[in-house]
Amino acid sequence: MTLLHPTFIRRQLATTRSQSLIFVLCVALSMVTLVALRGFGDSVDRALTRDARALIGADVVVQSNFAFDPAVDSAVEAIAARGAAETARTWEFYSVVRRPGEDGSLLSNLKVVDAGWPFYGTVELASGAALRAVLAPGRVIVEQALLDRLGVQVGDALRIGDATLTIADVITFEPDRPTTFFSLGPRVLVDGGDLAALNLVNPGSRVTYRWLLKAADPAAVDDLADEVRTVADRDFVRIDTFRTARTGVERFFTNFLFFLSLVGIFTLMLAGIGIQSSLTAFLRERHGTIAVAKTLGASSRFVTVNFYIVVLLLGAIGALLGILLGFVLQWTLPALLSGFLPPDIELTISTRAVVESALLGLVVVLLFTFLPLYRLEGLRPSFIFRKEEPPIVNRLPFALTLLLILGLFTGLVIWQLGDVRTALWFAGGALVLLLIAALLTEAALQLLKRWDVRWLPGRQALRGLFRPRNGTRAIVITLSTALGVLFCIFVIEQNLRASFVQSYPPDAPNVFFLDIQPDQQEAFAATLGMEADYVPAVRAALMAVNGAEPRRNPEGEDRGNGGEGGPEGGDGRRSPQYTLTYRAALAEGEMLVRGDSLFGDAETVNPVSVLQETADARGIDLGDVLSFNIQGVPLDATVTSIRKQDAGSVQPFFGFVFAPDVLTAAPQTIFTGVRVAPDEIAALQNRMVAAFPNVTVIDVTATIAQFASVVQRITQVVRFFSAFSILAGLLIVISSVYATRLARVQEAAYYKVLGATGGWVTAVFALENVLLGLLSAALALLMAQVAAWAIMTWLFELEYRFLPDASVAMIAITIAAVMLVGMVASIGILRSRPINFLRLQTENE
Amino acid sequence: MGAMVRRLEFDNLLSRHMRGRAGHALALLAIGLVLAGCGAAPTPMPTPAPTPTPAGEVLILAIGDSLTEGLGVGDEETYPAQLEAALRAAGHAVRVVNAGVSGETSSGTLQRIDWLLQQQPDVVILAIGGNDGLRGIDPALTEQNIAALVTRIQASGAVVVLPGMEMVRNLGSEFVSDFRAIYPRVAEESGALLMPFFLEGVAGDRTLNQPDFIHPTGAGYAAVVANLLPYVEQAIQQAQAR
Amino acid sequence: MPAILSAEQITKSYVIGDRQIAVLDDVSFDVQPGEFVVIMGSSGSGKSTLLSVLSGLDQPSRGRIRIDGVDVTDWSEDRLAPIRNSTFGFVFQSFHLVPSLNALENVAFPAELRGDKDARTRARTLLERVGLGGRTTNFPHQLSGGEKQRVAICRALVNDPKIIFADEPTGNLDSKNGAGIIDLLIQLHRERQTTLVLVTHAPEVAEHAGRVITLADGKVVGDEYREENANGQRSTVN
Repeated sequence: MTLLHPTFIRRQLATTRSQSLIFVLCVALSMVTLVALRGFGDSVDRALTRDARALIGADVVVQSNFAFDPAVDSAVEAIAARGAAETARTWEFYSVVRRPGEDGSLLSNLKVVDAGWPFYGTVELASGAALRAVLAPGRVIVEQALLDRLGVQVGDALRIGDATLTIADVITFEPDRPTTFFSLGPRVLVDGGDLAALNLVNPGSRVTYRWLLKAADPAAVDDLADEVRTVADRDFVRIDTFRTARTGVERFFTNFLFFLSLVGIFTLMLAGIGIQSSLTAFLRERHGTIAVAKTLGASSRFVTVNFYIVVLLLGAIGALLGILLGFVLQWTLPALLSGFLPPDIELTISTRAVVESALLGLVVVLLFTFLPLYRLEGLRPSFIFRKEEPPIVNRLPFALTLLLILGLFTGLVIWQLGDVRTALWFAGGALVLLLIAALLTEAALQLLKRWDVRWLPGRQALRGLFRPRNGTRAIVITLSTALGVLFCIFVIEQNLRASFVQSYPPDAPNVFFLDIQPDQQEAFAATLGMEADYVPAVRAALMAVNGAEPRRNPEGEDRGNGGEGGPEGGDGRRSPQYTLTYRAALAEGEMLVRGDSLFGDAETVNPVSVLQETADARGIDLGDVLSFNIQGVPLDATVTSIRKQDAGSVQPFFGFVFAPDVLTAAPQTIFTGVRVAPDEIAALQNRMVAAFPNVTVIDVTATIAQFASVVQRITQVVRFFSAFSILAGLLIVISSVYATRLARVQEAAYYKVLGATGGWVTAVFALENVLLGLLSAALALLMAQVAAWAIMTWLFELEYRFLPDASVAMIAITIAAVMLVGMVASIGILRSRPINFLRLQTENE
Repeated sequence: MGAMVRRLEFDNLLSRHMRGRAGHALALLAIGLVLAGCGAAPTPMPTPAPTPTPAGEVLILAIGDSLTEGLGVGDEETYPAQLEAALRAAGHAVRVVNAGVSGETSSGTLQRIDWLLQQQPDVVILAIGGNDGLRGIDPALTEQNIAALVTRIQASGAVVVLPGMEMVRNLGSEFVSDFRAIYPRVAEESGALLMPFFLEGVAGDRTLNQPDFIHPTGAGYAAVVANLLPYVEQAIQQAQAR
Repeated sequence: MPAILSAEQITKSYVIGDRQIAVLDDVSFDVQPGEFVVIMGSSGSGKSTLLSVLSGLDQPSRGRIRIDGVDVTDWSEDRLAPIRNSTFGFVFQSFHLVPSLNALENVAFPAELRGDKDARTRARTLLERVGLGGRTTNFPHQLSGGEKQRVAICRALVNDPKIIFADEPTGNLDSKNGAGIIDLLIQLHRERQTTLVLVTHAPEVAEHAGRVITLADGKVVGDEYREENANGQRSTVN
């Protein structure tokens, strides 16, 4: 007997379209998620890699502030000798350059470079020429600022060290030196051939020495770095690859992409569940056909093989649809992400991403279709005589499939993370989340089951949840987990917004001026032309509390910081630094917690008032003697009061407030804040900075706006991708309605025969969906609120808001969505006359 | 020397609801690294009550920049702390106060010298000028500031120890020699005790410095103190002789 | 005496492909209150279709159905709902108990649907009456065929309907259980003087009826009153 039966397959595809459609949509959804995410991730990653390489100008950079040991040099030279990498050296240092024979001199930031630098990125010159067409021994390229400040021009000579070189061009862009980079002097590029002639790189010179390597094989980058690392003194030689050298922004994107990948995996799993439940529904409607086929002598294999082909055909349609949608999505992404992604990022989907997605999609389809198809084997021909569901047996294959799905899930996470330990932690965490969701669902369902509802439609709706094979449990678990993640993100976003954006009092200062010198205050106030409080700030170290070292800050900020540019230095204890102020009275929004008055009686020498949090953190009590070192002057102060400050207050808060006469003479700066209409900020800022260049301006409005827009864009992207999981959840609801279609048709027919109106039946079905939505949303909200509370409290250390309005809205929206989807899927059932069902039953008997 | 930038303590400047790690992130987002020039205008003598020095104890004020403050090392490893320990071990009843401010140039020190001298120190170690050199400031200006500082300190009655500073060779031989010449000349003109080079035997030695090449480690400061000790002891003698 | 149920020239035909097949052809008869009518015929004679048309579950292609003289032929489903609930009672061959409800809830359901506060008490009394007092909390899948059908009969009676429609009520039962069910139906019919319209192909069931209407190929080919049941029938007419 032949195994393939094209007509049979065609018939299966042609009938019962709705289940096939759900199945196809689930497959498409998993594909579109994968393709969009891979495409998005690949694009960002490519751009970041390109930027990261350009940022260090190489694949590997070996760097030290001391001349390299010969071992390091020979290791690099050996790599170059065997052709594993191209190499180049650079020497970067400050030097005073002069116009030959004239007075002017200028501290400049020199970079002496071998041919080859930079291996990545392009140096742009004012002339438009290529770097190496200009830079040669005897010639230098300088920044415009040098020309301006020394009063020289291109073609002039420049005295650098012992050499006199000619200015050949002006540099306008240097890829490995960000424009925001702080520098004490303008850039001068010198050819490596002139290094000896400069006579500046000697013992006693402070030079940043670098070896740049461009790997012949991009995959060997880490190996090359390790090769050098083995011979280098780690304390003094820093070895970066373009990967390790990534900036904070890039690390953020890496984490963000990882998070999105997890959302993607989650969606994939949900889509898988949708695939399984829609296929179950699809096959259930075919039990009769299959039983007849078996009665007529078809083998189980015939049935399985032919249905597998049906499934694969449907799967292929879904995959194609998904990939197509993925491409469409790529065009919409840039609009969604504009201003958020690194500039000039190209959003394209590589063939590799599509192939990978398709393969992964295939695995998911096969995995999740296994059980429903496997169960067909248990279907006996006698099904056509006895109208019974085939028994659910096969505990072993079921457990195996579950294990395989778990394995796939963990495998995907490991693949995305590339770190087994973290991946296992994450997979474990996800399992725990699912477990919690499952336990909560089970508890809620048990409670509901015992709930004796007297109101008839309510009782019938409740009973509907426990309809055989309803999948209520699966729907609630998946929906509540998906919604939980989404709610949690939303609640955190709203909390951050409330904390930073909305809670800023409308009359509080929004522009702050720091570092006003005491002798500038009068002129400053005149220029400002507004009433403002001027607050003195005095830097000081807290050396001791009652002669003993202050309690340590748990975050270890009191350790030696290693100095500029270096890794960790000494780990000895450093006294904590504070900014002190002085004033005669409590500020607005402050109140005394302990002590009779701010500075006690007049007898007290050097009285100080301490903020409660500071007192708690450093173990300070009323009457304690605090030893400060105020920029070289030791001062013992007695704690006369402990203050508290209103949570809503926008006043600056100071850990230590002194009586005025103690600190009036201390070295200090002054700061102030004013409230300015947003459109006047820029003008004010320009006016003040022009008059007082040493003053720093902080525009809180801009800060808050910038922060809010970053938060908003991040959540936008997260929401966008989380929407896929929600879609998957809704598809599960639809497929579940179809899976229980027969049971629902039966119920509807019975209700009508027994005298229920169409409206009554609709009400029961609607209520059932409301219960389903309410249950899922309530559980999701519970989990989301707990998680968001924990994150806000422990991670962000911010006040948590429960957001009752938003919570109710989230539940309402969920219920509405679930009800809408459920009712649309049930329309056919509600419309049909009971006789149709009864006749069907009679005909089958 | 050292940290020319410092992170603003945003916590102190804005309100409490900006606090926490998110507040820090916000602060960094907003202002990043802000260049902070800290100093004070000379003001009339106030009425503070600094911690008094016990009678008979010699007060030594270590004025300077990050090399004095001890950037990157613990409190006990800074040179003033080690110097105090060494002097006490040698039987001197002294107290050494750390008056170093990271990133400070000679102009900054000039602005806070009155604040410092209110303590009426017996000996002042003035280790300043390194940041001037690293920023390429004209050695003539640096010399003028240091000379003014020495004059003011001597006028207060304290004995001045003036450790010489040298500049990294990469700045160019002319600048390096101009800079080096400041200290002997100021010492000669003022009568301050000159220690020829503060970082003698320490500068450039990888085993005694932090990876930034500029700042010594605790062991580096121990070597500095060993070199400095005789000059300080001499200054103590001079101070006690008055 | 007005007829409680009357069929006037009922025709029912289905279109299958391009052919029209007449299942019922010009069927007319009246049913008087308290009558026990058996509709007989072989498989395919149209008797089950006739029952669904009479009971309003299906609409005739032509002809009228009157209940208590009211023409309900064109009534909508929702308008028919209270009639099905309170005026009619249904007993089906395959029981059609609501699987998610237990025996008591199944029986009480139509009464609850009507808003009857005593629904459960009435249901319990009925179940005790048919000997199922001890099985009230059992769900349909925990009951035997005979028990299911007795529950179905209780459910049909719970709202004291004027007419009970029974469609091959013994079709899925063995002969012993089947006989028991027929006895029960007849007993209840007599106790409550309910009109009973019963469709069957089994002549032994028809023996108990006061009137037997025979269908063949969608036409009424016989309509006879049985003497031996005249007592029962007369006693219902006061």
